[in-house]
Amino acid sequence: MKKLAIGLYVAVTVALMVWGYYQAIYVAPTDAMQGEIFRIIFYHVPSASVAFLFFAVSLIGSIGYLAFRRNRDGWAQIADAWALAGAEVGVVFCTVVLLTGPIWGRRAWGIWWTWDARLTTTLVLWLIYVSYLLLRRFAAGPQMQTYAAVLGIFGALDVPIVYMSNRWWRTQHPAPVFGGSEGSGMDPSMVHPFLWNMLAWFCWGVLILGIRYSVERQHQKFAAQEAQEALNA
Amino acid sequence: MDQRAILDHQFLVAAYAITWAVQLGYVAWLALKWRAQKRNAARNRQ
Repeated sequence: MKKLAIGLYVAVTVALMVWGYYQAIYVAPTDAMQGEIFRIIFYHVPSASVAFLFFAVSLIGSIGYLAFRRNRDGWAQIADAWALAGAEVGVVFCTVVLLTGPIWGRRAWGIWWTWDARLTTTLVLWLIYVSYLLLRRFAAGPQMQTYAAVLGIFGALDVPIVYMSNRWWRTQHPAPVFGGSEGSGMDPSMVHPFLWNMLAWFCWGVLILGIRYSVERQHQKFAAQEAQEALNA
Repeated sequence: MDQRAILDHQFLVAAYAITWAVQLGYVAWLALKWRAQKRNAARNRQ
């Protein structure tokens, strides 16, 4: 039953990705100002949204780990697995944002990169979570998960700063399309393709988050089993 | 198509291709990791 549900979810996600692509390329009209290059928005913005969401998952997992690590080890390990999965998949989506953004910027602004608040804080966010993953990969010892959880919590503090950066400061990056000042927004003919792509990327993200979580849980069980065998020997 | 439209198209294709390369590359890495863990677990059980 579980396998059937997973298979169904994968099928729906793949269908949504294909549908999202069709909407982005064939249904959404060409932007009057930017032309074809505007269609990067259908991959760039959903990737940023999903990255933020998964960094929030990592934050909750990190807090959960710190809360449960002394008295409920099982729960703490589950929380830690979510923290790692959220951070890692978040980094993947943030990487996409940092790669597609400059490609868009080169055509729209004539430059690949500028040190404005939105771009810089996003790069800092990516660097914090890459350092989180490096810590988890190379640090050893019983305190590693605790250090990682603390870093995960501090890293998440950058997310609201990234989100608010083009509201608080004047930036090269455009003002928010949704929830921005008066007059912001998207042409109604572009909203549906945009929402389909948001949904598709969200489902894709949840799928790989779930896979990453399962891999980590399997790793934890394997490591615990090895430790037990070493004690018994 | 004028020069600007051609360049826009090329940049758009690059952005979409890079996105899928990153995403599918990560999924492939996860699959390899998963397979290696399964193999280690099976070896330990023997």
